[in-house]
Amino acid sequence: MIEIHNLHAGIEGTPILRGINLTINTGEVHAIMGPNGSGKSTLSKIISGHPQYEVTEGEIIYEVNFKKINLLDLSPEERAREGIFLAFQYPVEIPGVNTAVFLRAAFNEICKHQGVPEMDPLDFDEYIRSKMKTLDMDEKYISRAVNVDFSGGEKKRNEIMQMAVLNPRFAVLDETDSGLDIDSMRIVADGVNKLRNKNNAILVITHYQRLLNYIVPDFVHILQDGKIVKSAGKELALAVEEKGYDWLKEGK
Amino acid sequence: MLTMEEKHKDSPLISAVQKYFTALPSTSLTSWLGQLRQKSLTNFLKLGVPTIKNEDWKYTNLSSLATINFKPIAQENFSHHNDVKRLIKKEEITLVFVNGQIEESFSNLGTLPKGLSLLSLKKAFFDRQGDIANLLAKYEGNFEPAFVSLNRALAHEGAFIQIADNTRIEKVIHIIHATQTLEPALTIPASYIFLGKSAEATVLETHVGYTDSVYLAAPLTEVLLEQNAVLHYCKAQSESLKAYHVGNTRVWQERDSHFDGFALMNGGEITRNDLDIISNGEGTSSTMNGFYGVNGKQFVDNHSSMDHRSPHCTSNQLYKGILNGASNASFNGKIFVRQIAQKTNSYQLNKNLVLGIDCKVNTKPQLEIFADDVKCTHGATIGQLNEDEIFYLQSRGISKKTAVKLLAHGFVEDIITKIHNPSIQDKLNILLEPTFAALE
Repeated sequence: MIEIHNLHAGIEGTPILRGINLTINTGEVHAIMGPNGSGKSTLSKIISGHPQYEVTEGEIIYEVNFKKINLLDLSPEERAREGIFLAFQYPVEIPGVNTAVFLRAAFNEICKHQGVPEMDPLDFDEYIRSKMKTLDMDEKYISRAVNVDFSGGEKKRNEIMQMAVLNPRFAVLDETDSGLDIDSMRIVADGVNKLRNKNNAILVITHYQRLLNYIVPDFVHILQDGKIVKSAGKELALAVEEKGYDWLKEGK
Repeated sequence: MLTMEEKHKDSPLISAVQKYFTALPSTSLTSWLGQLRQKSLTNFLKLGVPTIKNEDWKYTNLSSLATINFKPIAQENFSHHNDVKRLIKKEEITLVFVNGQIEESFSNLGTLPKGLSLLSLKKAFFDRQGDIANLLAKYEGNFEPAFVSLNRALAHEGAFIQIADNTRIEKVIHIIHATQTLEPALTIPASYIFLGKSAEATVLETHVGYTDSVYLAAPLTEVLLEQNAVLHYCKAQSESLKAYHVGNTRVWQERDSHFDGFALMNGGEITRNDLDIISNGEGTSSTMNGFYGVNGKQFVDNHSSMDHRSPHCTSNQLYKGILNGASNASFNGKIFVRQIAQKTNSYQLNKNLVLGIDCKVNTKPQLEIFADDVKCTHGATIGQLNEDEIFYLQSRGISKKTAVKLLAHGFVEDIITKIHNPSIQDKLNILLEPTFAALE
């Protein structure tokens, strides 16, 4: 579904990604691990189209409706409407913008693009409440401003709740487990697992092997200095948990 | 040296003020009211209209006022009754003035809750003279600003509100001043609001104007909060886009009282709104929130002054503004903490969202602290929408244009929802329609 070819990118002239190659097929879950500053979050931002990052080389081919398109040619909102989703590492607080109003606007934009009927406020209310329930979120958040006065854990749950509502084809979870206690992490992981199916794919970016006991990946990739230095099965995560990343450095 | 009076003798504004003064309902010159008016007129003529040379008026340029040929205000011109009706809720207590006169058909003074006196100022100037005189006496010896004097000299109609000790009035008390004139005019209403010990009330004062009428509105609201009283107060100003609004709200707080204030300013070509609070007893708290939304060539200047004269008091201030087109805004927040006012806790923030390319904002915190054990913080921001917030919404499928609109709405909503009363929020949302339309 996604093929990343020789992706080079940076921010304000500083290169961060130095030739990423990665193929993800439908139904697969991939995990990317790597030390701080290796480019994990940059990759997630580039997939979703953050304007601050500059791609200098390469392409991200996305297969949708039997067509291949280069994601880099699309605006962030067009990518979202084609089924790309990013669960933010640091979800943004948006004072004054009501969660339900915002999500319904997003949901209907996607419906419009995909040619399915929009949902009216009452039906949507029921729909969003059912998704909140699966993530064990208090219904009071539905009428609150997006992420404002949410705890760290609530913000991360809110990201996965949005993922459940928007039902993307390809989701990138950027350190969704960081800062979560084990109970919250389980709830989030359960939420993600419920969304896993043979038609979508998930890329999990994480620091900690712990999460991968719950969201079990098909492949694990190690990102270092802007390149994937090793790819293997889920056992690779255990190896880096034990030995760190140094043994994977290029030339060793 | 020429006095202001001599310099401005020929200004059409000064001669209009004198004509309005002569046309006031006759009062004996030796009476309390007659003396007050005469003294205030003299003070106004001595001070004149402030110029930008005056530090306090540096950004508010009223020089164009002097060129307008103000005429007596006429009654028959008003045609926007339906717009006024939108702001009225039957179950609330409403007093409506149209072009300075009570509009009986819109007002419901019939059966008032026990403990509430609400009368027209015309009547109160005679029946409740003692209350008004006692309040004014508290300011004896203080500098009286020109537009306060102008109001005292000319105001002959408005609202007098008094809540008895230990009484809580649940219903919103809504005072509306609506203006529509064919020729330039003055509108000078006043409100006097008295809350007795441990009394509580919610008062909304709305100033609206229609069809690009040219006029000068110079309202004055005087508030007295006795011990432990709580007033939720909102002043909403949505004057005609050709109007001048130069308003003053003065609040005197006794021990343990709470003033919960909000100011909406989104009308007028030139708006200057002053809020002055004196905390005259321990344990008071004062909230001064506000929103201004300006577009085109509008100018708005919010001045506030919080005078902490007693220990253990709190004040909180958040003013937000959205600027579109080529509009200008100014914010000046004075906070005095006198030597005796230890343990004062004071917070001030002014946030400006600049959407137009030709806008200008001047924001100035002005803290004068003489006590040594206090906590005072202040801040100001002037900026565009946050890129990360826009991206977050885009990443969910929302177009950039819609994202900008949602965020600008959110910027307003965030402060409107801080208002204690939902019915007042509804009314402000009606008055904010032009501001929201500018975001489309």
